[in-house]
Amino acid sequence: MNNDTVSFGFKEVPREKKQGLVRQVFDSSARRYDLMNDLMSLGVHRVWKDITVTKAAPRPGARLIDVAGGTGDIARAFLDRADALQERRGGEKAEAVVADINEAMLQSGLKRGGRDRLDWVTANAECLPFDDHSATAVTIGFGIRNVTNRDKALKDMHRVLKPGGRFVCLEFSHPTTRPLAKLYDAWSFNAIPVLGELIAKDRDSYQYLVESIRKFPRQSAFAKELEEAGFSRVSVTNLSGGIAAIHTGIKV
Amino acid sequence: MSDTEKNPSQAQGGGVDPKLLEILVCPVTREPLTYDRDANELISKAAGLAYPIREGVPIMLPEEARELDA
Repeated sequence: MNNDTVSFGFKEVPREKKQGLVRQVFDSSARRYDLMNDLMSLGVHRVWKDITVTKAAPRPGARLIDVAGGTGDIARAFLDRADALQERRGGEKAEAVVADINEAMLQSGLKRGGRDRLDWVTANAECLPFDDHSATAVTIGFGIRNVTNRDKALKDMHRVLKPGGRFVCLEFSHPTTRPLAKLYDAWSFNAIPVLGELIAKDRDSYQYLVESIRKFPRQSAFAKELEEAGFSRVSVTNLSGGIAAIHTGIKV
Repeated sequence: MSDTEKNPSQAQGGGVDPKLLEILVCPVTREPLTYDRDANELISKAAGLAYPIREGVPIMLPEEARELDA
């Protein structure tokens, strides 16, 4: 592969073009984003996000940076869980920041209601505008796949974590059994683009999402990337037979 | 920081949450930022850039920032 190109779904595009192309996908579908996740996860992405939040250790005094946090559902769930603990145990209230490169996405999140200790920032995952050692947890849910230079983003998410902090990445992955892989292929390549056209009038964006999921590295290869970025105690949890996976790592 | 109680969210208008400002840095230089209340911008002196705040959301992208006069 030429070093100056990068995958955009199944296409190879110039490295400098990917960010703009991804932005178009999300600008054209920001309001339908939940629907898209529902279709691609067979309706269970909310359960996956819940598990993701648990792994990010919501608790009094915590600070979460949710990268590619879009409309903020991971951050809200994190604060809900931390606040429930804080009411029982006391301590400082937790805080969360939603960072996303897409302003339209953040604005649609804000319209769902702002709240105390939840902030919104437009930012690029590859050069985050946060100080070193800012957060007790960094999450990225269905976002790392869309990042142009994944190695840079992983290193930067490592940088902003406090020592002992947790990185939790939820992403579509690869089914671990043949029968499920076949079924999922049929669903994603035949049904999803058609549903995208019918429901959102946006076949191309859905086609991109399906392809980009296939191009994303398998569980073990991505785990290695976390280690290369500096994370320790890297672990993988398959969800729904590997349709999605959670990768976690600790900053020592 | 007791004013965060009375000032529930940046969503309600201009300004930037002081708690957020504590951890925000310039994405180019990683230097701290100063908040220019009149212009409603976050200034990075080292980078010579002013990052806009739109509807309460700091836009921390160099390509969206205004270049400061030298």
